[in-house]
Amino acid sequence: MPDLAELNLASRAGEARIRALLEDVVQEHVGVYPQNKLALAVWFGKSAGVTQNLLELFSGTVGDRFVETRFSLLWKTGSDSPPFVDIRAGSVRYFSEQLATNRAALGHFFEGSEVLYFDKTLLDAHILEQFKIRTEPAGLLKGWYVDQDHYSAVHSLRNVLSTYCVFKPQVGLVKTSPPTDFEKCIGIPHVEVGQRWLPLSSTGAKIHSFFNDFLDDKPGYFVFEGGSVYQLVGFEAITAPQYANLVLEPSRDDRYLEVHLRSVLPSERSAA
Amino acid sequence: MTDTLKSICDRCSHLSDPRLDFLPPEFALHREIILRDIRELIAAASAENEKTVVILAGCLIESVLYCFIQGQQEYISFRRGAPFQFNPDHTLENYVGVFNRYFREVVPDVVLPDVVVQYRNLVHINREINSPSGICTSASREILRILDALLGGMAKLSEPESDVESVGSC
Repeated sequence: MPDLAELNLASRAGEARIRALLEDVVQEHVGVYPQNKLALAVWFGKSAGVTQNLLELFSGTVGDRFVETRFSLLWKTGSDSPPFVDIRAGSVRYFSEQLATNRAALGHFFEGSEVLYFDKTLLDAHILEQFKIRTEPAGLLKGWYVDQDHYSAVHSLRNVLSTYCVFKPQVGLVKTSPPTDFEKCIGIPHVEVGQRWLPLSSTGAKIHSFFNDFLDDKPGYFVFEGGSVYQLVGFEAITAPQYANLVLEPSRDDRYLEVHLRSVLPSERSAA
Repeated sequence: MTDTLKSICDRCSHLSDPRLDFLPPEFALHREIILRDIRELIAAASAENEKTVVILAGCLIESVLYCFIQGQQEYISFRRGAPFQFNPDHTLENYVGVFNRYFREVVPDVVLPDVVVQYRNLVHINREINSPSGICTSASREILRILDALLGGMAKLSEPESDVESVGSC
């Protein structure tokens, strides 16, 4: 009789295989309808049974109901044998409406569920929240890096904001120091990887202009949504296991890169 | 900007001395194309041609991932617990996702940010128009460094004691 560890390993391997087969299905559906992009794919009601369940939500109008399809997960080989997948496909709009008016009818989609794919630009905050899709840590400030030359060229904070606020944020910051000194700010710089804002490592920082400009003694500025402006003062790599709960993916060796910033006062901004 | 593209390029050791050991022997044509594009990229950087650098470096990142992922199908299949079939028609976004998912643990120093795809997509004029002014200036510098880091990561993975090599040979 196999011991429990072996049973567990076999079960994990089976789950990994099913996940991989479902991901292949999902990958086929990404971009398959140019007008209706795949926004979300959720493996729900997970079990070791022969039939697996997949929810797929698409952007645009695809009817006010879920369309059901069933086929073998071994479809690539031309086989029609188990395991099978039951797909419920619908629109993001329909799902949102049901979530607001008839959530109980959607309850089964949240039981034993695992998100296999998402495009956060096509989903509303409520859906992201319901499926526990976290794309950024609490308190994340998002904004843009503006080098010295561009900062001088745009003349005022209003110009800086109006220039950048229409674009997708490039950098993020999670503050690590209490706001006792409003002129100084220390935080963990973040960048987007796979639609999630993750902390930047010391090595990862080396590819970014803000880090290299600083090394070249031309420290630029971080302009954050909402209007706060900070100038780079320094970087420091520290060991801080307590930061693990500040970020989405804690560092394996508890090392974090901190950036030190100086708040740019309104008088300086107008003089820039 | 303090750094010229030429000065950045001069400091990119993996670009100036590319080790393409990660390419399987049967990828002779792939190797030839990548080496040609690297030569053209260096020439464009030396001439401070920002837009050319953004496009060519983006193209090279896609080429490197295309070849690398194709050569690592066995390892990826092992990691995911089911066969992984390389799709040559997939997007750069997909290749970046596959690389970050399966190789972040073995080359933690090379995590490709989402911005790589945005930079490569500057090939489309509407993307450049809808980006901050001077985007090519900053993008060209960052994407050169990203490509150099990626080539460095590939070289590291190709070393005999690399984890991927040992897992891949299982």
